[in-house]
Amino acid sequence: MPDSGIRQLLEFDSQVKRDSDQSPAFLHRRDRRFALDCRDRGLSPTPQRWLEHVRRLRPPLPADDPLRPWRRLTTGFALAGLITGVIAMLGLLFYDGGQRINLTVILAFVMLHCLLAVITTVQAFAGWQPWRWLLRKLKGTGTASALRPLQPMLMARAAHTGGLVFGLAGLATLLVLVVVQDLAFGWSTTLDTGPDRYYQLLATVAAPWQSLWPAAFPDRELVEATRFFRSNSGGTANPALWGRWWPFVAMVWTTYVIIPRLVLLALATIHPGIRARRELARHPGMIALQYRMETPALDTGNRHNDAADQPDINTSGQLHPLPAGQVLIRWAGAGEPELPDTLAAGYHLILAAGGNAALAHDNEIIETAGKTLAEARSPAVAVITRSWEPPTGELADFLQLARKSWPATTVIALVPLAAQPDQPPPDHQVNQWLRFAERTGDSRIIVSTPDMISPESRIHRALQDEYRE
Amino acid sequence: MTAPVFAVVGHPNKGKSSIVATLSQNDAIAIALEPGTTRKRQEYPLTVDGKTLYTLVDTPGFQRPRRVLAWLEAHSISASDRAETVQAFVIQHRDDGSFTDECELLAPLTEGAGIIYVVDGSVPYSAQHEAEMTILRWTGRPSLALINSIGDDDYSDSWLRALGQFFQVVRKFDAVRAPFEQHISLLRAFGQLEPAWEQPLEQAAAFLLAQRRQRRTEAAALIARTLEDMMSFREKRTLTTLQTSEISDTDLAGQLRTSWYRNQRKREQHLRIAIEKLYEHHRVERQEAELEWHSEHDLFSEDSRKAWGVNRRYLATAGFGAGAVSGAGVDVLALGHSLGAGALVGGLIGAAGSYFYGDRLALPVLNTGVLTNGLRTATFGPVQDSQFGYVVLGRAINHWWHISHRNHAGRELLDLAPAHNHWLEHLDRASRQTIHRALERCRKQRALDDKTRLALASAIEQAMDAYDKWRLNRT
Repeated sequence: MPDSGIRQLLEFDSQVKRDSDQSPAFLHRRDRRFALDCRDRGLSPTPQRWLEHVRRLRPPLPADDPLRPWRRLTTGFALAGLITGVIAMLGLLFYDGGQRINLTVILAFVMLHCLLAVITTVQAFAGWQPWRWLLRKLKGTGTASALRPLQPMLMARAAHTGGLVFGLAGLATLLVLVVVQDLAFGWSTTLDTGPDRYYQLLATVAAPWQSLWPAAFPDRELVEATRFFRSNSGGTANPALWGRWWPFVAMVWTTYVIIPRLVLLALATIHPGIRARRELARHPGMIALQYRMETPALDTGNRHNDAADQPDINTSGQLHPLPAGQVLIRWAGAGEPELPDTLAAGYHLILAAGGNAALAHDNEIIETAGKTLAEARSPAVAVITRSWEPPTGELADFLQLARKSWPATTVIALVPLAAQPDQPPPDHQVNQWLRFAERTGDSRIIVSTPDMISPESRIHRALQDEYRE
Repeated sequence: MTAPVFAVVGHPNKGKSSIVATLSQNDAIAIALEPGTTRKRQEYPLTVDGKTLYTLVDTPGFQRPRRVLAWLEAHSISASDRAETVQAFVIQHRDDGSFTDECELLAPLTEGAGIIYVVDGSVPYSAQHEAEMTILRWTGRPSLALINSIGDDDYSDSWLRALGQFFQVVRKFDAVRAPFEQHISLLRAFGQLEPAWEQPLEQAAAFLLAQRRQRRTEAAALIARTLEDMMSFREKRTLTTLQTSEISDTDLAGQLRTSWYRNQRKREQHLRIAIEKLYEHHRVERQEAELEWHSEHDLFSEDSRKAWGVNRRYLATAGFGAGAVSGAGVDVLALGHSLGAGALVGGLIGAAGSYFYGDRLALPVLNTGVLTNGLRTATFGPVQDSQFGYVVLGRAINHWWHISHRNHAGRELLDLAPAHNHWLEHLDRASRQTIHRALERCRKQRALDDKTRLALASAIEQAMDAYDKWRLNRT
C-alpha cells in the first residue's frame, strides 16, 4: 500500500490527539503495559504494533479516509492534464496547409515542460508551497496538522500525475493526427545557424533512442531538406519529406515529457511515505510514547479513596458550667506541673489517674473518690484532661468503671485544659470532648471549660438543677 | 524477596494518615482532626510495573495501650518471648472487639512490618505515650519515630529526647509542609532501618525523582499548549443578512467579547485541572482571580500588569531577539552579503515595536467579513496584546508551583495570590526570545509547528525553573 506510511502517521497523530485529554498516569500505564507485553513475546514495540494494539481494543471507527481530498485533487489534476494535453498537442500541431509545424517550437515546449517537472520536484524537496492558496480553497487537504509537512510532496504527486496524463494525452493526440492528417514538419529559426549545427542539436536530443529506433533519429539530408522560411511559403523539398519527422517528434515527446514525469511521479509516490516515516519518528507524541514505553510505570498507592468516609464532627452537646464538686482527678498528666488556682480551689480530694500510671492505681483512685462522693449530698467530680489529646478508650473504660462504683447521681465534668491553662482551648479541641461525652450516652457526663482568669468563676460555680434530679 | 512494609502507628489524631497521604501522593485519604477517622488499617503499596517496592500501612491509633501492656506483661516470662507475646495478643483479641484498634495496628508488625511511630511535635510531650512506645519496642521490629507538626507551637526538643530512648531513628517531618526533597530523604531513612530494605527504598526514591522531573516537563507542555490556544483563540459567528441588520456592531462585539472571555476562562480552568491531575491532586479547592477583563483583576489593568506582566525593557530585549531571527532570514537570502544588517534591522524593528506598543492596551477587535451567499462572518480575537500571554503564563506557572509544592496531606484552600515582582526577568535570554516569538506568532494567527511547540515547552520549563529560584530567594 503506497500510502501506508502516511496513513500510519495520520492515525498516530489522531490517536495522540485523542489521548491528549487522558491523564498522564493512565497513558503511562497503558503504554508501559504494551511495551512489557511486547518484551514478554520477544517483539519490538513498533509504532505499527502500538497502533494495532490501540485499534484492537476500541470499537471500529467510521471509515473516513483523510487522503480522500488529495485523491480528488490528483484526479482533478489528471483530468486537467488530459484536456490540456490534447489542446496543447493540437495547438503545437496546428497546420493550416501554409506554414510548416516548427520543430523548434515543439522542442522549446518540451524543454519548458521538462523544466517545470523538475521545478515541481525541487519545490517538493525544498518544502515550498507557492500554491497554498489553492489548498485553502480545497477544504480538507490540510486539516490534519500532521499532513502539513507532507503537503509539498502530495502536491508534487498530484502535479506529476497531471503532467504524466498531459504527456500521454499529447502523445495520443499526435499519433491520431499522424494517422488522420498529413502533418508537415519543418524547422525554422531566425538565428544564424546552418543545417549542420541544427542537425548536431537534434542528434544530441535524439541520442537516447538512436539505437532503439533508428527511424526516429534524424538524418542530415532530412534536416537540410526541411528547413523553411516564412517568406518562402512554398518550400523546396519533396512534400513527403515533411511527414518523416513524426517518429522523431513522438520520441522527443515520450523521452522528454512522458518518461521524466513517470520517473518523477514514481519518486513523488515514494517520497511522502519516506517523509511520513521521518515525521512519525520525530512526532512529539512519539517521543512521549517512547518515554512512556521505556520508563517503568510508578504507582504510589494513591488509588485508595476514603475521602468521603469522614467521621461526623457535628455535635449537639453543649458546654456546661463547672459544678461545685468534691473530687478533682487529673487525667493522664493534665494540669502538670501545677493546676490553676481558680480550678483547684474548693475540692476535698485532688487525685491523678491515667497516663503512665498502672491500671491498678486507677482502680484505687476510683475507690478513694467513691468514698468521698458517697458522703456528699450533690456528688460531682471534675476530670481534668489535656484538650489536645483525643479522648481514648482508656478514659472511656475509666469512666465506665467509675460510674459503677460511684453514687448514681454523681455528675462527672470533663474539663479539657489548653496547653496554656489560663487560655480557653480552641473550639475543635473542645468539640471532640463534647462528642466523647455524647457518645457515652450518660447525661451526667458533661463538659466544662471554666474561665481560668476570673476569680469569680469558682465562687459562682453552681450545679444546675437538672443534674440533681 | 518480599518488599518492606512500614506500619504508620501512634496515638490517635497525630497525623498518621497525613504522613501516608503525603508519601503515597494520595489526597483521597480521609484526614480529620477527630480520633477514630482511620478505623481499619489500609495498605498503600508503591509499585513499579506492578512490582511492589514498599508498602505503607495506615493504622488506627492506640486506644488502650496500658491494658494491652498489662496483658503482655502478664503473659511474658522473659524479654526473648516478647515478640511472640504480641503476636499471641493479636491472635487472642482480633475477633473479640475489645482491642479492635490495637489488633489492627499491631497485626502488620507481627507480620514483619517496620514501625513508623508518629507524634505531634506541636503539643507538649506526655508520659502517657510511654505505654504504646513500650508495646512497640516489645514487637522487636525496626523502628523510626516521626515528629509531625499539626499546630504552630514547637515542643519537638522534648519529644526528641523522649523518643530517642525508644526508637532507632527520630526524624522531624511536617506532613503538610515538608518539601519533596524531604519526602525522598525520609524514604531513604526508612531504607536504613534494615540492610535488606535499603535497595528497594533507594530504587523507589530514584523512580519518584524521575517521575517528578517528568511531571515538570509534562506540565510545561500543557502550559505551552494552553498558551498557544489562548493567544490564538478567535470567537467566530456566522450571521444571515437579516441577523446582520438586526444587530448593531457594538452589540455584536459585546456578545462575542463575552463569549470570548468565557472560553478563555474555561481554557485556563482546563489547564488548572490538568496540572492538578498530573500531580495527583484531585480535590484542590482553588481561590484565584478569574480572567476578568472588567473587574479588579482585569488582565489589562495596571494591577495585573504589575503582577504578571513584563516591563518595557523586557519586551524590548525579547522583541529584539525575535526580530533579529526574522531579519537573519534576509541575510541568508542575501548569502551573507548584507553582513548581518538584516538581523540588526529586524532586531531594532522588533525591539521598537515591542517597546512602544507592548505597553498599550490592545483588546481584540471585531472583524466582520464581506457578505457572501447571504452570510457574513464576524470574528473577535485573537488578542492583540502580547502581555496577555505573559499574564496567562505567569498565572499558570504560579499555579503549577503551588501544586507541585503542595503535599497530598494538605487540605487547605489553595490561595493563588498574584506575585509582586517581575519574576520572568530571571529567565535566560534565549528562552525569553523563544516565548516572545511564539506569542507573536500566535497573535498573528500563524500556526506553530511541532519544532516551535517543543521549543516553547522547553522555554516554559526554563521559566518554571526561574520561577522556582525566584520563590526560593524570596522566602
